[in-house]
Amino acid sequence: MTTTPTTLIETEDRRQYRATRRRDFAVDLSMALATILAALAIGFLVMLATGNDPVRAYEVMLTGPLDRSFRVGRWLEDATTLTLLGLSVAIPFRARQISLGAESQVYAGALAAATVAIFLPLPPVVAVIVPMAAAAAAGAGMGLVPGAMKARLGANEIVATLMLNAIVVRVYDYLVNGPLKESGSSAVHSKSVQQDSALTPLSDWFGVPLGRANIGFGVMLLTAVALWLLITRTPLGYRIRMTGANPDFAAYGGIRVPRVIEWSFVIGGAVAGLAGAHLVQGAYGRLEPGLAGSLAFEGIVVALLARNNPLVVVVAGLFYSYLRAGGDIMEQQTDVGTEIVVVIQAVIVLLVTAQALPNLLKRRIARRQVGVR
Amino acid sequence: MSSVLDVVLSSAFLAAALRIATPYLLAALGGLVAERAGISNIALEGQMLSAACTGALVAGYSGSVTVGALCGVAVATLLGVLLAALRLELGADAIIAGIGLNLLASGGTAYAVYSLLDDKGGTSGLKSGSLPTVTLPGVENVPVLGDVVSGQNMVTWLAFLAAPFVAWLFYRTRFGFHLRAVGEMPDAAASVGIAVRRVQYTGLALSGALAGLAGVFLSMGYVSFFVRDMTAGRGFIALAAVFLGGMRPWGVFLAALGFGAAEALAVQLGSLDVPPQLVSTIPYAMTLVALALYAWRRKRRGRVVPTAASL
Repeated sequence: MTTTPTTLIETEDRRQYRATRRRDFAVDLSMALATILAALAIGFLVMLATGNDPVRAYEVMLTGPLDRSFRVGRWLEDATTLTLLGLSVAIPFRARQISLGAESQVYAGALAAATVAIFLPLPPVVAVIVPMAAAAAAGAGMGLVPGAMKARLGANEIVATLMLNAIVVRVYDYLVNGPLKESGSSAVHSKSVQQDSALTPLSDWFGVPLGRANIGFGVMLLTAVALWLLITRTPLGYRIRMTGANPDFAAYGGIRVPRVIEWSFVIGGAVAGLAGAHLVQGAYGRLEPGLAGSLAFEGIVVALLARNNPLVVVVAGLFYSYLRAGGDIMEQQTDVGTEIVVVIQAVIVLLVTAQALPNLLKRRIARRQVGVR
Repeated sequence: MSSVLDVVLSSAFLAAALRIATPYLLAALGGLVAERAGISNIALEGQMLSAACTGALVAGYSGSVTVGALCGVAVATLLGVLLAALRLELGADAIIAGIGLNLLASGGTAYAVYSLLDDKGGTSGLKSGSLPTVTLPGVENVPVLGDVVSGQNMVTWLAFLAAPFVAWLFYRTRFGFHLRAVGEMPDAAASVGIAVRRVQYTGLALSGALAGLAGVFLSMGYVSFFVRDMTAGRGFIALAAVFLGGMRPWGVFLAALGFGAAEALAVQLGSLDVPPQLVSTIPYAMTLVALALYAWRRKRRGRVVPTAASL
């Protein structure tokens, strides 16, 4: 920030700009809350219609995850992976690239982390960092393929990422069932990672049983802040935002759009790779079939709900994992299936993407303000 | 190598290829109709899944396979219309709305099955029956051909008829002409008096119906029950076939058939010493390479590269 003297008009302009920003933010926030409430209401009706007791179900779902410390741990562990995956798509989304490739990236990351953490003997501390770096690199590589195809050739990134997902998931499945399977074990999984490579469980720090939650949670928070700084405070972030807002204008202004698109994919891929490392070194301690479940796609939901703002992604990720954790507990204690959470989530997505609604509201508020003046 | 050839030339493989290609064909043609109407239908997966679930449940409870199949297709059609409504009325992004609908289908079907049957896995506890197969009286006894063609499910026949139908619709009917015009440039189409919205709604409904037929085939074709998430990404593969086929009916037909054949090959080679997972990656890897080649060629010709749907 330079401190050049500003004219009165500039100050006035800035004041108006801030007021608009604040108003838009207030509308966004209230829309997000309204969306969540509406989705929960629809979930309520669905449960009612299917002959369940929605009040009891919601009670269990919304208080359950905080009941016992290990449930809190489950929530935090789930939130770590989910938020990292949400962050990984938020970056390409900011450049208006519809990358659906988080699945391929997280599995590539998991494979890389596991290979290093199982087979490469390393001194302590380094043994934690090197597999994570390998995972990030593998994820970034997986992101580079569709990114370069889109940026250099104009190939459709949706198809490219979906194909890459299909390939990597199958290769992963082959490796876990074949070469990397622990010999002599009847269940399908790899050998466990070396002791030094495991991410320290949070239980060790807080002295209460927190399940599989680990310092990956801190890594996730740091990543979110780093990405927020990247997007809002660096030239690359500016280029990404400009490319997303209007690629033609960005190119006109001298931004090399293809390069920016590539970077957005690579950065997103690296973050998804970290999610893979968290699964291997933290949550499971080894490779298991279908490690990431449906988290890759749910990360997209989290990013959308947060409108691709890295800091808000953390909040959305925590919120959404809370619902997931609560849904599981609800299923154990009531007759309601945990799938209702997926239904609620789907309704959230549909409401969030119905952009006509908030824009209508914003325009109306703006018009009223102009009228006042 | 000769053993691989034996597998490929066997009538069992060819019959399996036709069978496995059926859902790809139908869903890909559905995706094609939507794509040419200007709205990407990424919800193919969800439409298939909903149709598969509805079909098995309705057939199980009503006792009528026909009613079940019709209801399944109807639900998928409605989802197609819903996608169009979200896009056209509420300004939703088609891709994200599609992801939302896929989630809705995944959660909704699992929730419905669990609520009704108290079963997490699927509807295997429910007797729902399957759609009839078609036996061709004369051809039945012809060697090889009889084994391959005769005795295929009626939906497989419909799938193979769907390709010429879509081609006819696109290039020989007024509606098809309007549909392509709308997809190409909605404003220009509107300026000459084409009812853009109506065409897009109809296109998406047809798209959903085709995907629904694909879904019904999954739960009522060779098996007679619904399994949770039984579409297993087929809708996305079908979407890839749409692009791989150059967005033309016969191109899409060949691409979908190719995916079916490759998957059948992966299944058949399971008996040999080749890991089936690796064989089954071949079609996707081929698509990826083809996608890059197409884009490269298009770029070299200097045509304007269309940017994909926006967020």
